[in-house]
Amino acid sequence: MALIELKNIHKYFKMGEENIHALDDVSITIKEGDFTSIVGTSGSGKSTLMNIIGLLDLPGTGQYFLDGINTTEMNDDELSKYRNQKIGFVFQSFNLLPKSSALKNVEMPLQYASSYNSTLNDNLIRTMALETLEKVGLSTRVHHLPNELSGGQRQRVAIARALVNNPKILLADEPTGALDSKTSEEILNLFEELNSQGVTVIIITHDTKIAKRCKRILRMSDGHINEEKSL
Amino acid sequence: MNFKKILVYSSEAIIENKLRSALTMLGMIIGVLAVILLVSVGTGAKRYITSEFESLGTNVIMIQPGKTDKKVAMGPPVSSSKGKLTLSDVEALQRNTPNLSAVSGVMFGAGTIKNENATNNINILGSNDQFNKIFNMTISDGNFFTKEDEDSGRRVVVLGHSIKENLFGNTTALGKLVKINESEHRVIGILKQTGDKMGFNMDDMVFIPTRSALRLFNTDKLFGVRASARTRSGMNDAVNDLTNILKERHNGEEDFTIITQVTMLESMNTILNMLTYALAAIAFISMLVGGIGIMNIMLVSVTERTREIGIRRAVGAKRSDILKQFMVEAVVISVSSGLLGIIMSLAITNALYFFLPGFDMRPPFWIIPPAFMLSFLTGVVFGVWPARKASHIQTIDALRYE
Ligand SMILES: Nc1ncnc2c1ncn2[C@@H]1O[C@H](COP(=O)(O)OP(=O)(O)OP(=O)(O)O)[C@@H](O)[C@H]1O
Ligand SMILES: [Mg+2]
Repeated sequence: MALIELKNIHKYFKMGEENIHALDDVSITIKEGDFTSIVGTSGSGKSTLMNIIGLLDLPGTGQYFLDGINTTEMNDDELSKYRNQKIGFVFQSFNLLPKSSALKNVEMPLQYASSYNSTLNDNLIRTMALETLEKVGLSTRVHHLPNELSGGQRQRVAIARALVNNPKILLADEPTGALDSKTSEEILNLFEELNSQGVTVIIITHDTKIAKRCKRILRMSDGHINEEKSL
Repeated sequence: MNFKKILVYSSEAIIENKLRSALTMLGMIIGVLAVILLVSVGTGAKRYITSEFESLGTNVIMIQPGKTDKKVAMGPPVSSSKGKLTLSDVEALQRNTPNLSAVSGVMFGAGTIKNENATNNINILGSNDQFNKIFNMTISDGNFFTKEDEDSGRRVVVLGHSIKENLFGNTTALGKLVKINESEHRVIGILKQTGDKMGFNMDDMVFIPTRSALRLFNTDKLFGVRASARTRSGMNDAVNDLTNILKERHNGEEDFTIITQVTMLESMNTILNMLTYALAAIAFISMLVGGIGIMNIMLVSVTERTREIGIRRAVGAKRSDILKQFMVEAVVISVSSGLLGIIMSLAITNALYFFLPGFDMRPPFWIIPPAFMLSFLTGVVFGVWPARKASHIQTIDALRYE
């Protein structure tokens, strides 16, 4: 069944006098368990699309169904809850809290989740965060601050943070953009492993090698979206 | 997120920004300190003045000729030309009121005193043998007047401490003759040194019997009458008795004014309370400045941490979570500043009291809860706007913020 369903999404940005049409009638469906990459030239609208899928931004017009529910009708608190419970987001620039340790960064989504789930006490939160850090191979770096970690390690922390609350969807906007090819390879292996465990993964990438490893490739150009490959 | 966690996170954020937090707190600490210290100065002054007042003599009743408005009974009593109090009034009071322990007419005037050694300008106070009881005067040498001295208007004098020193130095003064306004008086007593009490210094005065004073100033009209009630609770009865007796003697007319310590203290207190409130108002302004400091820093902090806000929102923080986070941060800063201010004010005033025991500016206990509440409220009031601003930043804009 369709986990993500976008129907005629438009997104405009006003830049002074200029009106940028960043997304032009985008309609796609992504099934649960898909491993999709989005490619396209710079400025084609990939991040804009990803932000809408991740509920970080709202579409101008059109409808977005997530897990069968129309997100465009949700209020701000419901959107926050969905971001917390269903979606894990990985950014190109990591977006870690610089003054918090790896562990604290990974615990953060669970702290906000604890208002929906009373069994999430501090002990459980810590255990889950440590387990997730172990999963991404960082069990020896839990008390380091982000600036005491390498780029690859930082991105692993960010991935752990995205995964800690067991989301259905993992969104990654150029997750390997700041990493060398070997580290990129390892990160991608991690994504494939997660996908094999049932997580729906969507990656934006400029790297054709990475794109080719995905089951499905969507190409953006000038706000339009086209299916390039699907298995 | 529950409140305890937000509290922990906020405290962590404050500790992470040590210098900035410390500077923000400084403003608040000074504000709270100012509130407590200024109020303490106000109440300390009040306590000091009240105790000085009471040491002048308890249960004192003053009767001045002429009717003056009660509301302006503060300050030095001024006799008006209307009405007249005489020695026979004093005698009538002495005879008829069991509620009074002592009554004395007083005569007051300027003059000179001299002997072979020195000449002094002095205040001459004419009073009878009961006057020293009314004002708790202590004689260090010799005696105060006797009833016989008063009744026959003897030319005897009791010297204030400074006058004795000026005229006789260390030599004995008792029994010696001095000239008061050219009329010879024999020294029969020396007062113990009292110091300045409410601008009234007995050390610089000489005391002679009322009759001698009236003769000296060539009048039969007393400056006033002083009396003391037998007990503090008997004060009202004493005043009533006094009023009735004097009215009867003055053809039913109340041509005199009665001032008691109670009424003086009341009007004194009104003024001192006003002083305290005025100081509190000034202190309040410094609190306001401290609050604005918090608001400034919180606004800077919100801008600086836009990215953090974006990240928190991206992983599921609600608007209200962000609002609470920044509110609690402001309140934690203001409340901990408040506590520090309270502790510092206690430390400062107690240290001062330790080294200068006469200088008791220790804050009254009642000021502490309001000072604490005030710092809490300042945090809430000045934290709201920055926190609201933080909670209304759009997630995506916050994440893109450089
Ligand atoms: N907040 C914004 N305000 C104004 N214009 C924006 C905003 N966000 C995106 N745009 C514009 O929308 C278009 C699409 O931007 P987007 O970031 O989605 O591109 P992208 O495909 O992710 O590019 P890249 O590969 O360089 O990351 C661009 O022309 C960009 O300038
Ligand atoms: Mg992009």
